[in-house]
Amino acid sequence: MRTLVVALALAATLAEPAGGEELLVAAAVSLREPLEAIAHRFEERHPGTRVQLALGASSALSAQARAGAPFDVFLAADEESLDALAAEGLVREGSRLVFAGNRLVVIASAELRVPIERAADLERPEVRRIALAERAVPVGHYAREWLARKGLLEALGPRFVTTEHARATLAAVDAGNAEAGIVYATDTKAARSARVAFTPPDAEQPRIVYLAAQLTSARADALAGSFLASLSDPAARRDLEAAGFLPPPGDRAP
Amino acid sequence: MSAAELAEITGLTLRVGAVATAAILLPGVATGLLLARRSFRGKALVQAVIALPMVLPPVAVGLALLLLLGRRGPLGPLWSALGIELVFTWWAAAIAAAVVGFPLLARACEQAFAAVDPGYERLARTLGLSPLRAFLRVTLPLASRGVIYGALLAFTRALGEFGATALVAGILPGRTETLALGIYARVQLGEDRGAFWLCAISFAIALASMLIAETWLRSGGSRR
Repeated sequence: MRTLVVALALAATLAEPAGGEELLVAAAVSLREPLEAIAHRFEERHPGTRVQLALGASSALSAQARAGAPFDVFLAADEESLDALAAEGLVREGSRLVFAGNRLVVIASAELRVPIERAADLERPEVRRIALAERAVPVGHYAREWLARKGLLEALGPRFVTTEHARATLAAVDAGNAEAGIVYATDTKAARSARVAFTPPDAEQPRIVYLAAQLTSARADALAGSFLASLSDPAARRDLEAAGFLPPPGDRAP
Repeated sequence: MSAAELAEITGLTLRVGAVATAAILLPGVATGLLLARRSFRGKALVQAVIALPMVLPPVAVGLALLLLLGRRGPLGPLWSALGIELVFTWWAAAIAAAVVGFPLLARACEQAFAAVDPGYERLARTLGLSPLRAFLRVTLPLASRGVIYGALLAFTRALGEFGATALVAGILPGRTETLALGIYARVQLGEDRGAFWLCAISFAIALASMLIAETWLRSGGSRR
């Protein structure tokens, strides 16, 4: 009995969080690789600071923030996720900025033998399951918007397997559990066996923008501000570009 | 996934499990004793309600906790007045773990106390021990095997808690990411290797804890 109490007390003292300033960044999971590089550089420039990334679907992270999750900075793959936060007064005024863009691609599993070269090919009987994120998730919303534009949304509906976010869609196609999927162009760099089947032409692409903002719940206020600023510095731009992200729409040549 | 990350997730998980188990130890023993010793009207209902967190979908337990602990729930004003933030902290994970672990402990205690002949305690009373001392010196030691078994079960269940925890604590790396949450997040990211390592650690802890529980039962428990 006494042993039990002592053991519990010992275990309870484990993993007391380390000291120093910590920045909790909620971010669309599609930003993962460049964001890890950006966060790493930020930690080097601000010794003693630790940047923790909470990666997920922007919509899910937004719901968590509204329920009280203590995020300092929020990086979303659509405007709606941030609007929902702003509506509740959770976004620090004037901190909102657009820092990147993206485009959709259709991916196919290694096992799929028939070529998929345009939207209509998704109707082939060999494409039994099409993975895409839930409707509330930005990439799921964008994918449906594109399919609706192509007049395929209803016909393909029964083949949808919905996932939690873009990377989960990629994982489903990588594992061969779905024959095709719709993800961001940038996600495909993390693919293991899935391949890019085709990229819808620019004229069909939904407008995909990444926004960043500081939340009013931010504890490390100044730090959160400089992290936001670091998203637009030349090194961050290079990281984002290398990962395949488009420059923010304002910067694009007409 | 780095060794530091693994250690952090494992440490946090053990802490959550330990705090949860420690918190329910006294109420669990008391509830078990009450159920074993007393018969009262509606006892079956009480037993059923106590078992609920064990059989409800964990995510339903999570939603109930979110309402109770959240800023917007009926107790929200109380939490803000006290300056307590629970949701999305490791405390929320510990509370969720405690709630789902409680029935396991209380049930085990009930059975353990039911197996102890109350005659021993009565005898101790006639020899001049106070009710509390008689319980602590006679009944509790006799029931300790079952109590410890229940505590280990609750602890192990706490380590694996997922559904309720994901809702009330989120999956915040370094803050609330336990082994179970970490496995889920990594599978979603297609990071099978990281998920595998976390699984391996969960497996090792669960096996060790159940081995201890079983050998304890076999050996006849502590003689103290």
